[in-house]
Amino acid sequence: MKMEEVSMSSLDNSKLEGLAQDILSDLVEDACLGLCFEVHRAVKQGYFFLDDTDQESMRDFEIVDQPGLDVFGQVYNQWKNKECVCPNCSRSIAASRFAPHLEKCLGMGRNSSRIANRRIVTGNNTNNKSESDQEDNDDVNDNDWSYGAEKKAKKRKSDKVLLIFFAEILQV
Amino acid sequence: MSRESRMRATINQRLTEKGERERLKELLRVKLTECGWKDQMKAHCKEVIKDKGLEHITVEDLVVEITPKGRALVPDSVKKELLQRIRAFLAQHAT
Repeated sequence: MKMEEVSMSSLDNSKLEGLAQDILSDLVEDACLGLCFEVHRAVKQGYFFLDDTDQESMRDFEIVDQPGLDVFGQVYNQWKNKECVCPNCSRSIAASRFAPHLEKCLGMGRNSSRIANRRIVTGNNTNNKSESDQEDNDDVNDNDWSYGAEKKAKKRKSDKVLLIFFAEILQV
Repeated sequence: MSRESRMRATINQRLTEKGERERLKELLRVKLTECGWKDQMKAHCKEVIKDKGLEHITVEDLVVEITPKGRALVPDSVKKELLQRIRAFLAQHAT
């Protein structure tokens, strides 16, 4: 009779459970043996105790578990409330806001050029009214390329519309 | 050979043939490392070696000292997980 033809249906549940436990037992024993061989080889090849140092050094580098300290024993929120003086504008800035402030102040960050552009545009808008008579100020009227100016102009228009609308409603 | 032992032999053979035994071994190895069993056992090994002497330690010494403790220290969660997989395999292949 071939092995494969043997029917398993006569193995009841308790026997199956027993079999499962035996298989687990074999696997655990295998793991233990594997460990023994690994350790034995490490001992004979001389690298088993390599990661040990003397007791004193072990104590020096033990993990620190105290409030307010990180695992190395260093204080990690020491600079939370300190203030720094900006070398550019000489203002006193909080430490956590210092880096973003420097970015804007020195004109070097990702957004600082955009903010600068917007300022130029709004500067142009206010200049427009006072310098419209001067012919030599060509770039003042050049609003085709500055998207920001159109946005501000449209915004003001829609604000006016809303104000009129609300005013009419309130009058009722 | 009784019917039962024939069936057991067949199951074991199938376990190996399908590669499931290797997968289970690897799973057990990973789980035991994750749960710290391996580190615990290694620490115990250090004791045994310091006891018997570095030069004279044999595999037999280690097996005798390590295996009983190793069996006892396997966490229940790991046993449970392995058993689940074994039972699933039996359910699939034992009919």
